[in-house]
Amino acid sequence: MNWGGFGTLDGWLAIIGLAVGTFAIRYSFIGLLAGRQLPPRFERALQLAVPAIFAALVVPLILFNAGEFNLGARWPHLVAAIITGVFAWWRRGGMLVPLIIGMASLHGLLWLIR
Amino acid sequence: MSSSADHADSKAAFKAGVVECLQLIPSYVPFGLVCGVASVQAGLGEWGGGSGCVCVRRFVAGGAHAVSVGRRSVDDRDCLGARGESANGGLQCGDFAAHRGRVAQGAHAVGGVSVDQTFISNEARHQRGEHMEHPLAFYLGCAMMLWPWWVLMNAIGAFAGAKLPSSWQLDFTIPLSFVAMVVPLLKTRSQILAAIAGGVAGVLLYAMPLKTGLIAACVFGTCVGMFVDAMLAKRASSEGAAR
Repeated sequence: MNWGGFGTLDGWLAIIGLAVGTFAIRYSFIGLLAGRQLPPRFERALQLAVPAIFAALVVPLILFNAGEFNLGARWPHLVAAIITGVFAWWRRGGMLVPLIIGMASLHGLLWLIR
Repeated sequence: MSSSADHADSKAAFKAGVVECLQLIPSYVPFGLVCGVASVQAGLGEWGGGSGCVCVRRFVAGGAHAVSVGRRSVDDRDCLGARGESANGGLQCGDFAAHRGRVAQGAHAVGGVSVDQTFISNEARHQRGEHMEHPLAFYLGCAMMLWPWWVLMNAIGAFAGAKLPSSWQLDFTIPLSFVAMVVPLLKTRSQILAAIAGGVAGVLLYAMPLKTGLIAACVFGTCVGMFVDAMLAKRASSEGAAR
Protein backbone atom coordinates (compact mmCIF):
# COMPACT_ATOMS: atom_id res chain seq x y z
CA MET A 1 0.00 0.00 0.00
CA ASN A 2 1.24 3.42 -0.84
CA TRP A 3 0.84 5.72 2.10
CA GLY A 4 1.92 8.79 0.18
CA GLY A 5 3.33 11.40 2.45
CA PHE A 6 1.17 10.35 5.35
CA GLY A 7 2.92 10.77 8.64
CA THR A 8 5.51 13.20 7.32
CA LEU A 9 5.68 16.76 8.58
CA ASP A 10 4.49 18.06 5.19
CA GLY A 11 1.58 15.66 5.29
CA TRP A 12 0.49 16.83 8.71
CA LEU A 13 0.94 20.48 7.80
CA ALA A 14 -1.25 19.91 4.76
CA ILE A 15 -3.90 18.19 6.87
CA ILE A 16 -3.90 20.98 9.42
CA GLY A 17 -3.88 23.69 6.76
CA LEU A 18 -6.77 22.17 4.83
CA ALA A 19 -8.77 21.52 7.97
CA VAL A 20 -8.36 25.04 9.34
CA GLY A 21 -8.97 26.63 5.94
CA THR A 22 -12.08 24.63 5.15
CA PHE A 23 -13.56 25.21 8.55
CA ALA A 24 -12.82 28.93 8.41
CA ILE A 25 -14.54 29.23 5.05
CA ARG A 26 -17.57 27.27 6.10
CA TYR A 27 -17.88 28.85 9.47
CA SER A 28 -17.30 32.42 8.37
CA PHE A 29 -20.70 32.82 6.77
CA ILE A 30 -22.54 30.91 9.44
CA GLY A 31 -20.81 32.92 12.14
CA LEU A 32 -21.50 36.21 10.42
CA LEU A 33 -25.05 35.57 9.33
CA ALA A 34 -26.55 33.25 11.92
CA GLY A 35 -29.52 34.70 13.71
CA ARG A 36 -29.55 37.88 11.66
CA GLN A 37 -32.41 39.13 9.64
CA LEU A 38 -31.20 39.27 6.06
CA PRO A 39 -32.69 41.56 3.43
CA PRO A 40 -35.35 39.63 1.48
CA ARG A 41 -33.63 40.21 -1.85
CA PHE A 42 -30.42 38.80 -0.45
CA GLU A 43 -32.27 35.79 0.92
CA ARG A 44 -33.82 35.26 -2.48
CA ALA A 45 -30.45 35.49 -4.22
CA LEU A 46 -29.06 32.85 -1.90
CA GLN A 47 -32.03 30.61 -2.61
CA LEU A 48 -31.31 30.85 -6.32
CA ALA A 49 -27.60 30.32 -5.80
CA VAL A 50 -28.27 26.74 -4.68
CA PRO A 51 -29.53 25.41 -8.04
CA ALA A 52 -27.05 27.65 -9.89
CA ILE A 53 -23.96 26.35 -8.09
CA PHE A 54 -25.00 22.73 -8.21
CA ALA A 55 -25.71 22.93 -11.93
CA ALA A 56 -22.39 24.70 -12.54
CA LEU A 57 -20.67 21.92 -10.63
CA VAL A 58 -22.53 18.96 -12.09
CA VAL A 59 -22.87 19.78 -15.78
CA PRO A 60 -19.09 19.84 -16.42
CA LEU A 61 -18.76 16.60 -14.42
CA ILE A 62 -21.22 15.06 -16.86
CA LEU A 63 -19.95 16.52 -20.14
CA PHE A 64 -16.20 16.75 -19.63
CA ASN A 65 -13.80 13.96 -20.31
CA ALA A 66 -10.26 14.39 -19.00
CA GLY A 67 -10.73 18.14 -18.62
CA GLU A 68 -12.14 18.65 -22.13
CA PHE A 69 -15.69 19.22 -23.29
CA ASN A 70 -16.46 16.07 -25.25
CA LEU A 71 -20.09 15.44 -26.08
CA GLY A 72 -19.11 12.70 -28.53
CA ALA A 73 -17.71 10.61 -25.69
CA ARG A 74 -20.02 11.77 -22.92
CA TRP A 75 -23.48 11.68 -24.49
CA PRO A 76 -24.34 8.39 -22.74
CA HIS A 77 -23.50 10.13 -19.46
CA LEU A 78 -25.75 13.02 -20.40
CA VAL A 79 -28.63 10.68 -21.24
CA ALA A 80 -28.08 8.75 -18.01
CA ALA A 81 -28.08 12.00 -16.01
CA ILE A 82 -31.32 13.14 -17.69
CA ILE A 83 -32.97 9.79 -16.93
CA THR A 84 -31.81 10.09 -13.31
CA GLY A 85 -33.11 13.65 -13.06
CA VAL A 86 -36.49 12.81 -14.55
CA PHE A 87 -36.87 9.83 -12.27
CA ALA A 88 -35.83 11.79 -9.18
CA TRP A 89 -38.29 14.54 -10.07
CA TRP A 90 -41.10 12.07 -10.66
CA ARG A 91 -40.45 10.06 -7.49
CA ARG A 92 -39.41 12.72 -5.02
CA GLY A 93 -37.35 11.55 -2.08
CA GLY A 94 -34.82 8.79 -1.91
CA MET A 95 -31.59 8.78 -3.83
CA LEU A 96 -30.63 5.14 -4.08
CA VAL A 97 -33.16 4.13 -6.76
CA PRO A 98 -32.42 7.07 -9.11
CA LEU A 99 -28.72 6.34 -8.67
CA ILE A 100 -29.12 2.68 -9.62
CA ILE A 101 -31.33 3.58 -12.59
CA GLY A 102 -28.80 6.18 -13.75
CA MET A 103 -25.83 3.83 -13.55
CA ALA A 104 -27.82 1.04 -15.22
CA SER A 105 -28.80 3.33 -18.10
CA LEU A 106 -25.19 4.49 -18.50
CA HIS A 107 -23.84 0.95 -18.73
CA GLY A 108 -26.78 -0.13 -20.87
CA LEU A 109 -26.03 2.63 -23.37
CA LEU A 110 -22.30 1.96 -23.31
CA TRP A 111 -23.03 -1.72 -23.95
CA LEU A 112 -25.38 -0.92 -26.84
CA ILE A 113 -22.89 1.30 -28.69
CA ARG A 114 -19.97 -0.96 -27.97
CA MET B 1 -44.00 29.30 24.35
CA SER B 2 -42.95 27.64 27.58
CA SER B 3 -39.44 26.33 27.70
CA SER B 4 -40.50 22.70 28.15
CA ALA B 5 -42.74 22.86 25.10
CA ASP B 6 -39.88 24.45 23.24
CA HIS B 7 -37.60 21.67 24.34
CA ALA B 8 -40.07 19.06 23.09
CA ASP B 9 -40.28 20.86 19.75
CA SER B 10 -36.57 20.90 19.36
CA LYS B 11 -36.41 17.18 20.20
CA ALA B 12 -39.02 16.55 17.51
CA ALA B 13 -36.95 18.54 15.03
CA PHE B 14 -33.84 16.55 15.93
CA LYS B 15 -35.73 13.29 15.42
CA ALA B 16 -37.07 14.49 12.08
CA GLY B 17 -33.50 15.23 11.01
CA VAL B 18 -32.40 11.76 12.05
CA VAL B 19 -35.26 10.14 10.13
CA GLU B 20 -34.70 12.29 7.06
CA CYS B 21 -31.04 11.42 6.80
CA LEU B 22 -31.47 7.82 7.88
CA GLN B 23 -33.08 7.33 4.48
CA LEU B 24 -30.03 8.82 2.83
CA ILE B 25 -27.58 6.35 4.36
CA PRO B 26 -27.99 3.64 1.68
CA SER B 27 -27.11 6.13 -1.02
CA TYR B 28 -24.47 7.72 1.13
CA VAL B 29 -22.58 4.49 1.48
CA PRO B 30 -21.73 4.23 -2.24
CA PHE B 31 -21.16 7.97 -2.32
CA GLY B 32 -18.52 7.83 0.40
CA LEU B 33 -17.02 4.68 -1.08
CA VAL B 34 -16.81 6.28 -4.48
CA CYS B 35 -15.13 9.36 -3.11
CA GLY B 36 -12.55 7.19 -1.45
CA VAL B 37 -12.06 5.21 -4.65
CA ALA B 38 -11.89 8.30 -6.83
CA SER B 39 -9.32 9.93 -4.57
CA VAL B 40 -7.04 6.95 -4.78
CA GLN B 41 -7.56 6.26 -8.48
CA ALA B 42 -6.75 9.86 -9.31
CA GLY B 43 -3.48 9.66 -7.43
CA LEU B 44 -4.20 12.89 -5.60
CA GLY B 45 -1.89 15.15 -7.51
CA GLU B 46 -2.71 18.04 -5.24
CA TRP B 47 -0.80 16.38 -2.43
CA GLY B 48 2.34 16.90 -4.39
CA GLY B 49 2.99 13.61 -6.11
CA GLY B 50 2.42 9.97 -5.46
CA SER B 51 -0.85 8.47 -4.41
CA GLY B 52 -1.72 9.60 -0.94
CA CYS B 53 -4.01 7.64 1.27
CA VAL B 54 -6.53 10.40 1.57
CA CYS B 55 -8.96 8.37 3.58
CA VAL B 56 -6.56 8.12 6.45
CA ARG B 57 -5.86 11.80 6.22
CA ARG B 58 -9.55 12.46 6.24
CA PHE B 59 -10.11 10.15 9.09
CA VAL B 60 -7.33 11.56 11.20
CA ALA B 61 -8.01 15.18 10.44
CA GLY B 62 -11.72 14.59 10.91
CA GLY B 63 -11.13 12.97 14.27
CA ALA B 64 -8.79 15.68 15.48
CA HIS B 65 -11.26 18.37 14.71
CA ALA B 66 -14.22 16.49 16.03
CA VAL B 67 -12.51 16.99 19.35
CA SER B 68 -12.23 20.74 19.03
CA VAL B 69 -15.16 21.88 16.95
CA GLY B 70 -16.54 18.79 15.36
CA ARG B 71 -15.70 19.30 11.78
CA ARG B 72 -15.38 17.05 8.85
CA SER B 73 -11.93 17.53 7.49
CA VAL B 74 -11.01 17.03 3.90
CA ASP B 75 -14.31 16.94 2.17
CA ASP B 76 -16.05 16.34 -1.09
CA ARG B 77 -14.24 19.27 -2.59
CA ASP B 78 -11.14 17.27 -2.26
CA CYS B 79 -12.82 14.24 -3.61
CA LEU B 80 -13.96 16.04 -6.73
CA GLY B 81 -10.65 17.83 -6.86
CA ALA B 82 -8.99 14.49 -7.04
CA ARG B 83 -10.69 13.98 -10.37
CA GLY B 84 -9.16 17.19 -11.59
CA GLU B 85 -12.60 18.70 -11.52
CA SER B 86 -12.31 20.50 -8.27
CA ALA B 87 -15.26 22.20 -6.81
CA ASN B 88 -12.78 24.22 -4.83
CA GLY B 89 -14.25 27.46 -3.74
CA GLY B 90 -17.41 26.71 -5.61
CA LEU B 91 -19.13 24.69 -3.00
CA GLN B 92 -18.45 27.52 -0.64
CA CYS B 93 -20.94 29.47 -2.62
CA GLY B 94 -23.44 26.68 -2.21
CA ASP B 95 -22.51 26.36 1.42
CA PHE B 96 -23.00 29.99 2.02
CA ALA B 97 -26.34 29.81 0.30
CA ALA B 98 -27.65 26.78 2.04
CA HIS B 99 -26.70 27.63 5.57
CA ARG B 100 -27.39 31.33 5.33
CA GLY B 101 -28.12 31.95 8.90
CA ARG B 102 -30.97 29.52 8.86
CA VAL B 103 -29.06 27.35 11.18
CA ALA B 104 -29.61 29.32 14.32
CA GLN B 105 -27.28 31.11 16.64
CA GLY B 106 -24.70 29.30 18.66
CA ALA B 107 -24.16 26.82 15.89
CA HIS B 108 -20.43 26.73 16.23
CA ALA B 109 -20.08 23.10 15.30
CA VAL B 110 -22.23 23.30 12.21
CA GLY B 111 -19.42 24.09 9.81
CA GLY B 112 -17.76 20.93 10.96
CA VAL B 113 -20.37 18.42 10.07
CA SER B 114 -21.62 20.05 6.93
CA VAL B 115 -21.73 17.74 3.97
CA ASP B 116 -23.70 18.47 0.84
CA GLN B 117 -26.45 16.08 1.81
CA THR B 118 -26.98 17.69 5.20
CA PHE B 119 -27.46 21.10 3.77
CA ILE B 120 -29.62 19.90 0.91
CA SER B 121 -31.80 18.17 3.50
CA ASN B 122 -31.94 21.38 5.47
CA GLU B 123 -32.89 23.25 2.31
CA ALA B 124 -35.64 20.72 1.57
CA ARG B 125 -36.92 21.06 5.13
CA HIS B 126 -36.99 24.83 4.77
CA GLN B 127 -38.92 24.53 1.51
CA ARG B 128 -41.47 22.31 3.23
CA GLY B 129 -41.71 24.84 6.06
CA GLU B 130 -41.15 22.25 8.76
CA HIS B 131 -39.46 22.85 12.11
CA MET B 132 -38.84 26.48 11.29
CA GLU B 133 -38.12 27.28 14.94
CA HIS B 134 -35.51 24.58 15.32
CA PRO B 135 -33.38 24.33 12.20
CA LEU B 136 -30.26 23.60 14.22
CA ALA B 137 -31.76 20.60 15.99
CA PHE B 138 -32.91 19.22 12.65
CA TYR B 139 -29.52 19.83 11.13
CA LEU B 140 -27.66 18.15 13.95
CA GLY B 141 -29.97 15.13 13.79
CA CYS B 142 -29.19 14.91 10.12
CA ALA B 143 -25.46 15.34 10.58
CA MET B 144 -25.36 12.74 13.32
CA MET B 145 -26.65 10.20 10.82
CA LEU B 146 -24.40 11.13 7.92
CA TRP B 147 -21.09 12.41 9.10
CA PRO B 148 -19.75 9.20 10.70
CA TRP B 149 -20.74 7.28 7.57
CA TRP B 150 -18.95 9.77 5.43
CA VAL B 151 -15.69 9.30 7.27
CA LEU B 152 -15.99 5.51 7.54
CA MET B 153 -17.01 4.94 3.93
CA ASN B 154 -14.25 7.17 2.64
CA ALA B 155 -11.79 5.08 4.56
CA ILE B 156 -13.17 1.79 3.27
CA GLY B 157 -13.43 3.15 -0.25
CA ALA B 158 -9.85 4.26 -0.33
CA PHE B 159 -8.57 0.93 0.93
CA ALA B 160 -10.81 -1.37 -1.07
CA GLY B 161 -11.53 0.91 -3.97
CA ALA B 162 -8.17 0.71 -5.62
CA LYS B 163 -9.10 -2.85 -6.50
CA LEU B 164 -12.30 -1.96 -8.37
CA PRO B 165 -12.01 -1.59 -12.15
CA SER B 166 -12.28 2.00 -13.36
CA SER B 167 -14.43 0.83 -16.29
CA TRP B 168 -17.32 0.63 -13.82
CA GLN B 169 -17.18 4.43 -13.78
CA LEU B 170 -18.26 4.51 -10.16
CA ASP B 171 -17.12 8.11 -9.96
CA PHE B 172 -20.08 9.01 -12.17
CA THR B 173 -22.36 8.33 -9.20
CA ILE B 174 -21.11 11.64 -7.78
CA PRO B 175 -22.74 13.91 -10.40
CA LEU B 176 -25.70 11.52 -10.56
CA SER B 177 -26.32 11.80 -6.84
CA PHE B 178 -26.19 15.60 -7.07
CA VAL B 179 -28.71 15.44 -9.91
CA ALA B 180 -30.97 13.18 -7.86
CA MET B 181 -30.75 15.51 -4.87
CA VAL B 182 -31.15 18.86 -6.55
CA VAL B 183 -33.69 18.23 -9.33
CA PRO B 184 -36.58 17.61 -6.89
CA LEU B 185 -35.84 21.00 -5.29
CA LEU B 186 -36.45 22.86 -8.55
CA LYS B 187 -39.97 24.18 -8.32
CA THR B 188 -40.21 27.68 -9.71
CA ARG B 189 -39.31 29.04 -13.13
CA SER B 190 -36.65 31.27 -11.58
CA GLN B 191 -34.97 28.29 -9.93
CA ILE B 192 -35.03 26.23 -13.12
CA LEU B 193 -33.59 29.05 -15.21
CA ALA B 194 -30.96 29.78 -12.54
CA ALA B 195 -29.92 26.13 -12.79
CA ILE B 196 -29.81 26.16 -16.60
CA ALA B 197 -27.81 29.39 -16.67
CA GLY B 198 -25.48 28.09 -13.97
CA GLY B 199 -24.94 24.85 -15.86
CA VAL B 200 -24.22 26.51 -19.20
CA ALA B 201 -21.92 29.06 -17.58
CA GLY B 202 -20.22 26.26 -15.66
CA VAL B 203 -19.27 24.62 -18.97
CA LEU B 204 -18.27 27.84 -20.74
CA LEU B 205 -16.21 29.17 -17.83
CA TYR B 206 -14.70 25.83 -16.91
CA ALA B 207 -11.22 26.84 -18.05
CA MET B 208 -10.96 29.84 -15.73
CA PRO B 209 -8.04 29.51 -13.33
CA LEU B 210 -8.36 28.16 -9.79
CA LYS B 211 -11.93 27.08 -10.48
CA THR B 212 -13.08 30.67 -10.24
CA GLY B 213 -15.33 29.80 -13.21
CA LEU B 214 -17.53 27.91 -10.81
CA ILE B 215 -18.03 30.96 -8.64
CA ALA B 216 -18.63 33.15 -11.69
CA ALA B 217 -21.16 30.61 -12.99
CA CYS B 218 -22.91 30.61 -9.62
CA VAL B 219 -23.13 34.39 -9.64
CA PHE B 220 -24.35 34.40 -13.25
CA GLY B 221 -27.01 31.75 -12.59
CA THR B 222 -28.18 33.63 -9.51
CA CYS B 223 -28.44 36.89 -11.47
CA VAL B 224 -30.46 35.16 -14.20
CA GLY B 225 -32.79 33.77 -11.54
CA MET B 226 -33.18 37.23 -9.96
CA PHE B 227 -33.89 38.71 -13.37
CA VAL B 228 -36.59 36.11 -14.07
CA ASP B 229 -38.02 36.84 -10.64
CA ALA B 230 -38.21 40.53 -11.44
CA MET B 231 -39.81 39.85 -14.84
CA LEU B 232 -42.44 37.57 -13.30
CA ALA B 233 -43.21 40.12 -10.58
CA LYS B 234 -43.54 42.86 -13.18
CA ARG B 235 -45.87 40.75 -15.30
CA ALA B 236 -47.96 39.79 -12.28
CA SER B 237 -48.33 43.43 -11.18
CA SER B 238 -49.24 44.65 -14.69
CA GLU B 239 -51.83 41.89 -14.98
CA GLY B 240 -53.14 42.92 -11.58
CA ALA B 241 -53.37 46.56 -12.74
CA ALA B 242 -55.21 45.56 -15.94
CA ARG B 243 -57.98 43.86 -13.99
